[in-house]
Amino acid sequence: MTTSAEAVEGLGKLEELQRRSHPVRAVVALIVGLITLIFAIGLSISFGAADISLGTVWTAVFHFSPDLTAHQIIRDIRLPRVLGAALVGGCFAVAGAIMQGMTRNPLADSGLLGLNSGAAFMLAVCFAFFPGLPYMFLILWSFVGAGLGVVIVYGIGSIAKGGLTPMRLVLAGAAVSALLGALGEGIALYYRIGQDLAFWYAGGVSGTKWYHLQILSPWILVAMIGALILSRSITLLSLGEEIAIGLGQRTGVIKVWGMIVVLILAGAAVSVVGAVGFVGLIIPHITRYIVGHDYRWIISCSLVYGALLVVLADLFARTINPPYEVPIGAIIAFIGVPFFLYLARKGGKEL
Amino acid sequence: MTVLEIEHVAIGYSSTLIVDDLSVAIPKGQISTIIGPNGCGKSTLLKAVARVLRTQDGAVYLDGKAIHQLKTKEVAKRMAILPQTATAPGGLTVFELVSYGRFPHQTGFGTLRKEDYEYIHWAIDVTGLREFSDRPIEALSGGQRQRVWIAMALAQGTDILILDEPTTYLDLAHQLDILLLLQKLNKEEGRTIVMVLHDLNHASRFSQFMIAMRDGQLVVNGNPDEVMTKENLQKVFNIDATMALCPYSNNPICLSYQLYENAE
Amino acid sequence: MNNNSFLTASQQKARKKNFFILSILVVFIVITFVISMNTGVIKLTPMEVIRTLFGFGDAQQQLILYEFRLPRIIIAVLVGMGLATSGAILQGISKNALADPGILGINAGAGLAVMLFISFFPATTAAPVYLLPVLAFVGAGLTAIVIYTLSYKRHEGITPMRLLLTGIAVAAGISSAMIVLTLRLSPENYQFVATWLAGSIWGSNWKFVLSLLPWLLILFPFVYAKSRVLNILNLGDLTAVGLGASIEKERRWLLAASVGLAGASVSVSGGIGFVGLIAPHLARQLVGAKHQFLLPASALVGGLLVLLADTIGRSILEPSEIPAGIVVAVLGAPYFLYLLARVKE
Repeated sequence: MTTSAEAVEGLGKLEELQRRSHPVRAVVALIVGLITLIFAIGLSISFGAADISLGTVWTAVFHFSPDLTAHQIIRDIRLPRVLGAALVGGCFAVAGAIMQGMTRNPLADSGLLGLNSGAAFMLAVCFAFFPGLPYMFLILWSFVGAGLGVVIVYGIGSIAKGGLTPMRLVLAGAAVSALLGALGEGIALYYRIGQDLAFWYAGGVSGTKWYHLQILSPWILVAMIGALILSRSITLLSLGEEIAIGLGQRTGVIKVWGMIVVLILAGAAVSVVGAVGFVGLIIPHITRYIVGHDYRWIISCSLVYGALLVVLADLFARTINPPYEVPIGAIIAFIGVPFFLYLARKGGKEL
Repeated sequence: MTVLEIEHVAIGYSSTLIVDDLSVAIPKGQISTIIGPNGCGKSTLLKAVARVLRTQDGAVYLDGKAIHQLKTKEVAKRMAILPQTATAPGGLTVFELVSYGRFPHQTGFGTLRKEDYEYIHWAIDVTGLREFSDRPIEALSGGQRQRVWIAMALAQGTDILILDEPTTYLDLAHQLDILLLLQKLNKEEGRTIVMVLHDLNHASRFSQFMIAMRDGQLVVNGNPDEVMTKENLQKVFNIDATMALCPYSNNPICLSYQLYENAE
Repeated sequence: MNNNSFLTASQQKARKKNFFILSILVVFIVITFVISMNTGVIKLTPMEVIRTLFGFGDAQQQLILYEFRLPRIIIAVLVGMGLATSGAILQGISKNALADPGILGINAGAGLAVMLFISFFPATTAAPVYLLPVLAFVGAGLTAIVIYTLSYKRHEGITPMRLLLTGIAVAAGISSAMIVLTLRLSPENYQFVATWLAGSIWGSNWKFVLSLLPWLLILFPFVYAKSRVLNILNLGDLTAVGLGASIEKERRWLLAASVGLAGASVSVSGGIGFVGLIAPHLARQLVGAKHQFLLPASALVGGLLVLLADTIGRSILEPSEIPAGIVVAVLGAPYFLYLLARVKE
């Protein structure tokens, strides 16, 4: 009796939700976003210490000739960097969207799962105890640290009586982040490596090489597909746990898969560029503002706009004060903060 | 006699007006019920009366004085409000929440005085919550929780009670329970009660004054005999109602109904 | 106390239990106080400490206790109380369990001010070090004003959600400005700023006690007088208005008090933000949701936590120190997680 009544109520909410989502706007936003992204990538490749025309970019990508220096610069330095930026942005944004949907908390992002602080902690350990570790291993260990953070948060949340509620997840995440963050900070202070770490983070996507992309992209691809498969269930979860169950969702399973997807996406991104948490926080808000509350659209648009934001941020980071680079996190905040403030003012209820 | 005078009010969020130029007088010492379809502005009107929403135009008068010019604490001594969805912070007991109803009567650090305790205990008794008074609110059932919130509003000790759908989520017996309680408060103590109800028959059975709204405007108001007619129900809800008389109150009720062919 | 006759036996028991918990917390603070007095490079026995406190110690003991340890201990307790109360207020008015002074950008604002100061006047030129807390306070206050102004909307005033979102955005902006500044600092200056940001009771001096104390003396009574209002605000805007609270005005005052407490605390302690988050949660587990008990319990838990953290931080790696902020997180987070796992919602 009650379950069917709940299901009916749930369906009612779902219908209301569908009325509030805007598929047409979403498709337009997606197409516009993709075109802008491709253009931004091209622009970003052409800008730099050696100016290269957009035409050259085109030929370098589609008719590569190894004899031309410009083509080599594009292929070996700029292209991997820009693609890395796009990948990282997309990952953070999608992970943030999933987190917000699953926890029903507009302040949630992947950092709340203990990902950022876990990665930062492990990086501090590596810098302090194994100085001179190659880049590849640093990334690997950051990822392990991110995983550690998630496992602690998720584990504590799950062993609790009454199971893993969104509120408990958020609180556990905050506590674990504080704990791992403090340990990392302590190590950094004691071994005086804080500034080295800051330089590492400030480096952003500059050091991205083809083989990083080769290693990361299959994982990210699988996780992205997973995110899109989960997106419908996340829409239901965002309506509330009971309604999702009433509509026949196995919420426990979905949450576990959601966490795994978030871990892969955000873990990969964090280990490459460090905690650029703001992307995961604002992009889902912006997309939700444009496309409504259907997570199928929110997630796909977050992917595109997250990538766009980080590509542009990287472009600015390189071109504002050449030959020096401004930390990419600062640029993202510089773009993101005013926009976020505007949204917080305008659409208080939407958030 | 009028206790609350709503004059030409327009209420809305920023650009869209939800209630537009509505005037109605709430009689003193009676139960008044606002009815109308979803989204017609019932709750919005109630919130404006409760001064939670500011009116864009017009004003609400309490005993002839514009309500937003009175001190909010003074208004709270006259008028208690039960919102539609109220949530209590975790760990609060029934007694504690009900005791919050004494807020407008307290000053300074607000230790409860003898009079406060009398009101609180009366409110707990009259709502039948005596045995639960030390339980945490989250351990109660939906019907019990609703009664706790009503008890809090009662403890406020006001002669006007404003309730937004006090019977939602309750079963048939519990709905009646609440309404009979409100009726008793009205009859025995002469309290003015203003509420929004979804159940037309309950509205007709328990109230002396009804206000029917549609699209943010007043359609008709008056006693149940005047408001609960086939024609009015068509105007307000677009339904084809078969009317009958309530065996308990002798007021008209809607026995059953059908949608009109041209219904939206 | 004849009012108690109106309470049932179990209500009286609950009241007594809460008073008992508060006194236990005070006892714990006193014990930690004595232990902390004994902690340091120069060892003093508990007897010596007590003798010196009553004025029977030799000159060296007097110097150590009165000029070094006592002010530091007092500051630790005060800072903990201030931050915890600030957090309890913010959680009360925003109804968001994650609200703490850090989320309002207060830590970030103070940190930025300190960092700017250090980039222009390196820590090696020791002269204007007394300006630091003033600057930190100004930084915190300015940030709070900016956040408040940005989240204020005519006709609607301030909604807690908009305030939190704005706070997060502004804090993120400030943090990124700090990243840029970090890269320009010399290693020594960086170390100083990093230690400051990690939260350490570095201003162990009576002057800092005096700069902090007035704030707490004024704001604590004010906030306690508002405990009923906080109780009501916790029920949601609609109910609060119905009960006759002028929510907009009350919120503004409480917010200002919260900023004042956090700003004054952060200015002498650096970023011990976590206290503001967990102390109110722990207190709620102990004494329940009524602010009459919750506020003092939060303050005591916070004071105890920071004092304990500072004592441990001073003694564990002698002679070098671990910032109290780090110890607070390492101590507090596991206990917080334990509570989270044990207690039902």
